[in-house]
Amino acid sequence: MKVTFKLNGQIAEEEVNPNETLLDFLRNKLKMTSVKKGCDEGECGACTVLVGGKPVRSCLMLAVQVQNEEITTLEGLAKPGELSVIQNAYMEKYGFQCGFCTSGMILATKALLDENPNPTVEAIKDALEGNLCRCTGYEQIIESVLRAAELRKSGNY
Amino acid sequence: MEAEIRPLPEFEYVAPASLKEVIAVLREHGDTAKLLSGGTDLIPRMKKLAITPGVVVDLNRISELSFIDMREDSLCIGAGTRLTDILQSPLVQEKAGVLVEAIRVLASPGIRNRATIGGNLCNASPAADTAPPLLSLDASVKLQGRDGDRVVALSQFFTGPGETIRRVDEILTEVLIPYKQGPSAFLKIGRRKGFTLSIASVAAFAVITDGKFEDIRVALGAVAETPILSGKVENLLKGTEVSEENIEKASALVKEEVRPISDVRASAAYRKEMASVLVKRVLNKIA
Amino acid sequence: MYQDYLDKVKKLLKGKDYRVVGKNVRRVDAIEKVSGRAKYTTDFLIENALIVRPVRSPYPHALIKNVDKAAALGVPGVVAVITGEDITGENLCGYYLDDQPLLTYGKARYIGDPVALVVAKDEEAAWAGADAVSVDYKEIPSVFDPKEALEGNFGIHDKKSPADVKIRKGDVENAFTECDVIVERTYKAGAQDHAYIEPEAAIAIPEDRGGITVISTNQGPFRTRATVARILGRPESEVRIVTPYIGGAFGGKDTYGPIISAMAAVAADVTGQPAVIVYTRYDSFNFRFKRCPFDIRYKTGATKDGKLKAIDVEYLCDCGGYTGQVIGLMRRAAYHATGVYEIANCRINGMAVYTNNLPPGAFNGFGNPQMLFAAETQMDLLAEELGIDPVEFRLKNALVPGSRLGTGQILDHSVGIKELIKKVADKADWKTKRAETGMLRNGTKRRGIGVGCSWHGCGTTGFKQDWAGASVIINPDGSVMYSTGIVEIGQGTITSHAMMVAETLGVPYDWVKVETNDTSRMPDSGETHAQRGTFIGGTAAVDAALKLRERLNTLAADLLGCDENQVVIENGEAYNMNDPFQKLPFPDLARQLYQTGLSPAEFGFIKARRGYPDPETGQGDPYAAYTFGSTIAEVEVDLETGEVNVLKLYPGVAAGKIIQPEVVRGQVNGCGMLGLGYALTETVVRERGKMINDSFTDYVIPTIKDKPELEPFVAVEDEYKYSGYGAKGVGEIAFIATPLAIANAVYDATGIRFYDLPLNAEKVYFGMREG
Repeated sequence: MKVTFKLNGQIAEEEVNPNETLLDFLRNKLKMTSVKKGCDEGECGACTVLVGGKPVRSCLMLAVQVQNEEITTLEGLAKPGELSVIQNAYMEKYGFQCGFCTSGMILATKALLDENPNPTVEAIKDALEGNLCRCTGYEQIIESVLRAAELRKSGNY
Repeated sequence: MEAEIRPLPEFEYVAPASLKEVIAVLREHGDTAKLLSGGTDLIPRMKKLAITPGVVVDLNRISELSFIDMREDSLCIGAGTRLTDILQSPLVQEKAGVLVEAIRVLASPGIRNRATIGGNLCNASPAADTAPPLLSLDASVKLQGRDGDRVVALSQFFTGPGETIRRVDEILTEVLIPYKQGPSAFLKIGRRKGFTLSIASVAAFAVITDGKFEDIRVALGAVAETPILSGKVENLLKGTEVSEENIEKASALVKEEVRPISDVRASAAYRKEMASVLVKRVLNKIA
Repeated sequence: MYQDYLDKVKKLLKGKDYRVVGKNVRRVDAIEKVSGRAKYTTDFLIENALIVRPVRSPYPHALIKNVDKAAALGVPGVVAVITGEDITGENLCGYYLDDQPLLTYGKARYIGDPVALVVAKDEEAAWAGADAVSVDYKEIPSVFDPKEALEGNFGIHDKKSPADVKIRKGDVENAFTECDVIVERTYKAGAQDHAYIEPEAAIAIPEDRGGITVISTNQGPFRTRATVARILGRPESEVRIVTPYIGGAFGGKDTYGPIISAMAAVAADVTGQPAVIVYTRYDSFNFRFKRCPFDIRYKTGATKDGKLKAIDVEYLCDCGGYTGQVIGLMRRAAYHATGVYEIANCRINGMAVYTNNLPPGAFNGFGNPQMLFAAETQMDLLAEELGIDPVEFRLKNALVPGSRLGTGQILDHSVGIKELIKKVADKADWKTKRAETGMLRNGTKRRGIGVGCSWHGCGTTGFKQDWAGASVIINPDGSVMYSTGIVEIGQGTITSHAMMVAETLGVPYDWVKVETNDTSRMPDSGETHAQRGTFIGGTAAVDAALKLRERLNTLAADLLGCDENQVVIENGEAYNMNDPFQKLPFPDLARQLYQTGLSPAEFGFIKARRGYPDPETGQGDPYAAYTFGSTIAEVEVDLETGEVNVLKLYPGVAAGKIIQPEVVRGQVNGCGMLGLGYALTETVVRERGKMINDSFTDYVIPTIKDKPELEPFVAVEDEYKYSGYGAKGVGEIAFIATPLAIANAVYDATGIRFYDLPLNAEKVYFGMREG
């Protein structure tokens, strides 16, 4: 089946099989390997992508459901060679260790800050509730989100 | 115990644009067709071969399934409405606040952005978090099938774990919640503070007049083969004074009504005790 | 061989403050990871790679009469069905002992024991092929309890126990007669799943010029290479292991890396094509080796003045169907069994027992969390009987420089535990809170505070000599290439190496480029485990850098016309300390190395300063140095539900010099959450050898909402003289202390002692009602 959609701002047209998940489609066919497979059943959040700006588990969507949607992966957060404010904040504040949950965390962060530019720590925890991390203890992730909010306020994007 | 996670089996995929089309597909394929709404339950179960549909019917193109409206005195929510949209709706907060309370602690944002209220109800887990609040609000569901549509009280809807009275040719189209003014509350116990299944959950709605329970509905999740209303507790409290003593009695009595199972998540004994504790806490919140 | 590296670097830097070490820099892997470009094993999308699916025993114990490949080979797309007899080298992959085949034959010894590998063109065919392999099993009696296994005759292997460990120090019998207080209890500490977010995977690619490359999730590229080479029957030079970025390891990929690598390698070798094996989360939960369950009987005696006098410890390790890593972790537990205290009389007996459970692997702490749960609970029990405050009691007995350990090892320096306990207690305001808690009511909630102390020897346990190599090459333009066999598993160690190399050479941190992930171009630095990445791997880096620095000093002295001891090289410039305005840029110095024909490269190689304890008495020096930890936990227990809410953790470490403070804070925080999980919700639930909570739904790990307040860690920088910059390891210590503290805090809040973990709500609820 053919699907037409937007991937990281670019229009894309691809062939997909009905029984292909969005996750496998993004990774294997579109080479968006920043999207990670942690559990393949919606429990860890490593496969998070933005669909219409909202974080979604790509392992729980079929590729064919991407028709007419706008999909954002970590690769699409900044122009090639650049890093977005959120990415810089995560670097500055050590919001990663092994990095496997990072793409999901950063996308969930973007969705949060796009909706709520001034989140409290509680709001951050609510937004990232479904993204599991085994390395950082979450503390520096929260600090990264707060830093990103700060940087955005000062006009950077 | 989970079955193996495997690649999705093959199936035919259709994405109808209208309810009529859906019903036609269901008529043709019977129970080899499965409805795909949020996908958060269906897709994992398909990966484990717990469900192997011949046809997957994607409901996500049917905009008429997604709405939140007041019609006369009822709040009507389309079955295809995303849980996040319900969570963020000021109308639902006003007219059915206890439902919002429950959705806030249901799964996680990534799940709620796809999951729908219709899917949560039709998946019919005994621990479904939208069920106790809806039961406490005396909600009904509308089913549409080859013979037209029918409205069924939610209290009649669930028939067993994962089972409902929905016929194979029917699709759940909306949830109807009669609006009544009164305090309500929802609490659940899970195994961690976030993104957790309910081990036990309680929702209650009351109309309190002159310090008495003029009307009271108490619903529980995860402590029986379906979400249930506790008739015993309701009968005990109806017409009585809103007092610590009566609340204690109610919370003790509910242990006779629940019939939880023991599984790897919790023992029946613990669930029973927690049902009791939650009933007390929820009633205290309402009082 | 064992140089005073700390002394050397201090002399080198002429007493000035470090410019790089101890600061926070941009991690070597930072940009890749936040940009999404970091490649993990399954991100290498190899065209036309065949898919590998194992065929596994569904029985915990069964004879294997026959494997019928015919039906599977008939499935369209299936290219090969491989069993043990198809292995060209040796069909053995045990971490310590040759008791574990890669593909078992004759007998299956745990549910999931791999019997065959199906290799196919795509996923569907691989799964269908695996389903179609017909194995003729005859189930035989199985056993899941180590005690039962010892008493019965299940014949899992020829011996019931692959190994034991003994510690004999002093005269325990006599010592107990002199004790005023004796406490004896039995403890259980169970299996824990690593639950790292990246499941296991391996890709094997036959190389055009012969040989094979394997990209895999591993923690020891050279051990992995040795295992793969042995199984393929090829020389190690023909096997190349690539360790890309790893999505969490914690020891799990140390044990399992060689196994999954060999599976892919065998498939590629037999078919002549690239082959990939990816574990699903189900595979990872069910089949990847985990924390070893311990049954411990622990007896402690003390005199009424609060001095520990004797311990008698007996423990069984559930070793599952194969040894896995039980020998190392069992020994480590024995060497640390005293806890951080000086105890003159010790009798410790540990034994591993084969059962039909999943074999045990390495996991953060490696036997210490289990043993110290017992030891630290004992300390609180004794403190209570003696009427001494738990912190005071620990201080009375804590190790100090000059102390003799249970193994007889004397620690002459770098023993910061006593100061650490004091500092952590002060930070947590222990005295005030302790006086208030226990009886404090907050509705239906009661608060408690507890302390736990840990220690963890840095370096590989036992068998293998603990070596590390490192390579430093200065380029003609002054930039530096550094290579190590320590791999990046999230802990940021290779960044620490780069910092130490930069500091030692006198160049900015950014000038050092780190290469680490390919056995064909990095030195063997041993495994990345056991808190040795910086401690031993980093010391090899300093070893190499120091040698180069000496050469640079001599050359610079010559060029600047001064004495060697007047040369300063810092921030990329060299100068005479008596004439600081005459700067010689480091790039010029570098070019001169080449021009003068002096080697711009050095290889560092060190081995750990430790020995092998005696097999009968356990006396010896098992580790070069020990990191110490202490955590205080504040909890609130809901008396009506049994839910334990950890309010705050106050962690502390005595890990020598802290190279990267923010990275270490991350480690300590992560370890705190891991410890919270082990304390409260994480346990592998098995029914007749099958894990029944085998998904993230039911294997419950903490979410961001479960995070308590995490106090920034207390650091006592008790530098170790013989390591680079005095650093010790820090990757495990904070995890170990956490469940100990939480368990003691729960007692403080509820008055109920629990002798097995986890303290989930249901257990606490019923425990309070029974107690």
